[in-house]
Amino acid sequence: MYGKGLRPLSIATVAALAVSLSLVFFYAPLDADQGFIQKIFYLHVPLAITALVGFVVGGTFAIAHLRSGNRKWDAYSYVSIHMSVIFGVAVLITGSIWAKASWGHWWVWDEPTLVSFLIVFLMYATYYPFRYAIEDPERQARYASVFAITAGAFVPLNFIAVRMAQSLVHPRVFATANGGLPGSMMLTFLCSLAAIALLWMTLVKFELTAKSASGQVKRLRRALDAPAPGGASRIAPEVS
Amino acid sequence: MTPSRAAFAAILGKDLRSELRTLQSLPAMALFSITTFVIFRFGLDRTSLSGSLAAGVLWATLLFAAVLGINRLFVAEREEGGFDAIRLAPIDRSVLFAAKAAALLVYLLALELIAVPIFALFFLDSVAGLAPLALILLLADLGLAATGTLISSMAVNSRARDLLVPLVLLPLVVPLMIAATGATDPLLAVGGPGYHRFGTWLMVLGLYDLIFGLVGYAVFDFLLED
Amino acid sequence: MLPLGVPALPLDEAGKYVAGAYVVFLVLIVVYVAIMAAKLQRIEKELRELASFAEQGNTYPHMAEAEGRSHGRNIDETKPSADHDLTLSGPDEGRADHAESPPGGRADHPQGVPDV
Repeated sequence: MYGKGLRPLSIATVAALAVSLSLVFFYAPLDADQGFIQKIFYLHVPLAITALVGFVVGGTFAIAHLRSGNRKWDAYSYVSIHMSVIFGVAVLITGSIWAKASWGHWWVWDEPTLVSFLIVFLMYATYYPFRYAIEDPERQARYASVFAITAGAFVPLNFIAVRMAQSLVHPRVFATANGGLPGSMMLTFLCSLAAIALLWMTLVKFELTAKSASGQVKRLRRALDAPAPGGASRIAPEVS
Repeated sequence: MTPSRAAFAAILGKDLRSELRTLQSLPAMALFSITTFVIFRFGLDRTSLSGSLAAGVLWATLLFAAVLGINRLFVAEREEGGFDAIRLAPIDRSVLFAAKAAALLVYLLALELIAVPIFALFFLDSVAGLAPLALILLLADLGLAATGTLISSMAVNSRARDLLVPLVLLPLVVPLMIAATGATDPLLAVGGPGYHRFGTWLMVLGLYDLIFGLVGYAVFDFLLED
Repeated sequence: MLPLGVPALPLDEAGKYVAGAYVVFLVLIVVYVAIMAAKLQRIEKELRELASFAEQGNTYPHMAEAEGRSHGRNIDETKPSADHDLTLSGPDEGRADHAESPPGGRADHPQGVPDV
C-alpha cells in the first residue's frame, strides 16, 4: 500500500515549506557580501543536497533489488533517480540564476560544485535511454540497478576530481556561504533542507502510488480478461 | 592453477589470439587516432602543442579511439554464445569481467604504443615528458578498461548498442580524464616536464581504478543472470 | 543582524533574480503535478472502462468484440467518457449510452445495443 502515509507526509511537507519560506524572507538576516541574492542559497543548496542524497538512495535501493530479486526495489530505485534528476534540473537552473546575479554570467566553470553537479546530472540523464534500450523487462531492471550502483559510486569520486581540478586562486562561493554561517542563517538553512527533503520524499511516494495504481489496473485487466488499450507505455518499471 | 585462474588465462588468450588473427579493433583504433590528430592540427590551426592543449588533444583522441574498441568488446561473446558458455561453466562469472578487462587493457596499451609516438612526432617539441606519461597512461587505462568492460557488457545486449557506449561511458570517465589531463598538462609544458600535483593526480587515478574495478567485479555476476 | 554592506546588486534588481529562482522551483513542481494529474486521469478512465466491462459480465461475446475492437480502438480513445453519467449506474441506465462505453465497440457491438 503505497498511498498509506501520503497524506500526513504531504501535510508535513506543506507546513515545512511554509515555515522555511517565512524564515527565509522574514527572519534570516541579509548577507553582507551578496545582499538579497543570497536568498537563492536557501533554495539552491538544499535542492542540490537532496538530489545527491536521492541518487545515492537510488543506488541503495538498486543494491536491495539485486540482492533480493524483488522488483519493487527496482521501482523505488527508478523513482528515486527520476525525482533526483528533476530536482537536478532545478539545481542547475537556480545555480545558473545565482551565478548570473553574483558574477554576471549564466554559467561559470569556476564553481567546482556546480560543475561536478552538471557531470553527475549528465550521467544520470543517460539512465533513461540506457534503460529503455533494453527490451526484456527483467534484464532491464537488473541492468538499471547495476547502473544505479555504478553511478552512485561515481558521485563522490566525481566531486573529488572536479574540486581538485579547480585552481585554488578563484574564490569559492560555497566557502563563503557555508564557512561562517551565523546561527540564524544556519537555522533557516536547516529548515529549508528539511522542507526540500520532505518534498522529495512526498513526490517519490506520490509517484510510487501512481505507479502502483497503474499496476493494479493492469492486474485487474488481466484478471477480468479484458483487452488492453493500445499505446500504453509498458517499458517503464511497474509496481504491482 | 585454480579453475578460475585457468579460465581467466583461457579467455584472455582466446581474445588476444582472435584479435591478432582478425585484426578488427586495433588497426581501426590506431588509424582513427592518427586521423584525429590530423583533424586537430587543422581544427586548431596549430602545428605544435604544449601544456593543457596538448594534454587535451591527446586524451580526447585516446578516449574516443577507446570507445571504438569498447563497442566491439563483447560482440563475439554475444554472437557466438560466449555468455552462455560462461553461465554453464562451474566458475565464478566475474572471471569473464576480469579477462575481458585485461584484454581491453592490452588493446589500449597497444593503441598508445602507436598513437603516442605519432602524437609526439606531430605536435611535441621534446619527448622528455613521455616517460612519466607512460605511468599515467597505464593507470588511466586500468580505469578505462574496468569501466569500459562494464558498460560494454550491458550495452551489447541492448537495442542501440553503438550509441549506448559513448552515451553512458563518457560521463563516467570524466573524473579519469580530469586526473589524466591534470597530470599530463605540466608534463608537456614548454619549458620541460613539470610534476605539479603529479602525486595527487596519480592517487585520484588509483582510487578510480580501485573503485570501478571492484564495482565491476562485484556486479558482473548480476549482469549475466538469465 | 548583519548590517547592509555592499551587496552584489541593488536590492530592486536582486529581487528579480531571487524571485526568478523561486518561480522556477514553483513551475517545476506545478509541471510535475500536471503530469501526474494526466496520469491519474488515464487511470481513472481505465478503471471506469474496467468497471463497466466487469458489470456487463465478461463472457464469450467480449472475445469477438476484442477482435473487431482493435481497429476502432484509437478513434474511440478520444471519446469523452465523462458524457456517461458520473455515478456508477446499473446496467439498465447505462445501456442507453452504450455506444460510448466500452469504447470501440460501435458498429460491431454484438450485444444488440442500438448504434448512435
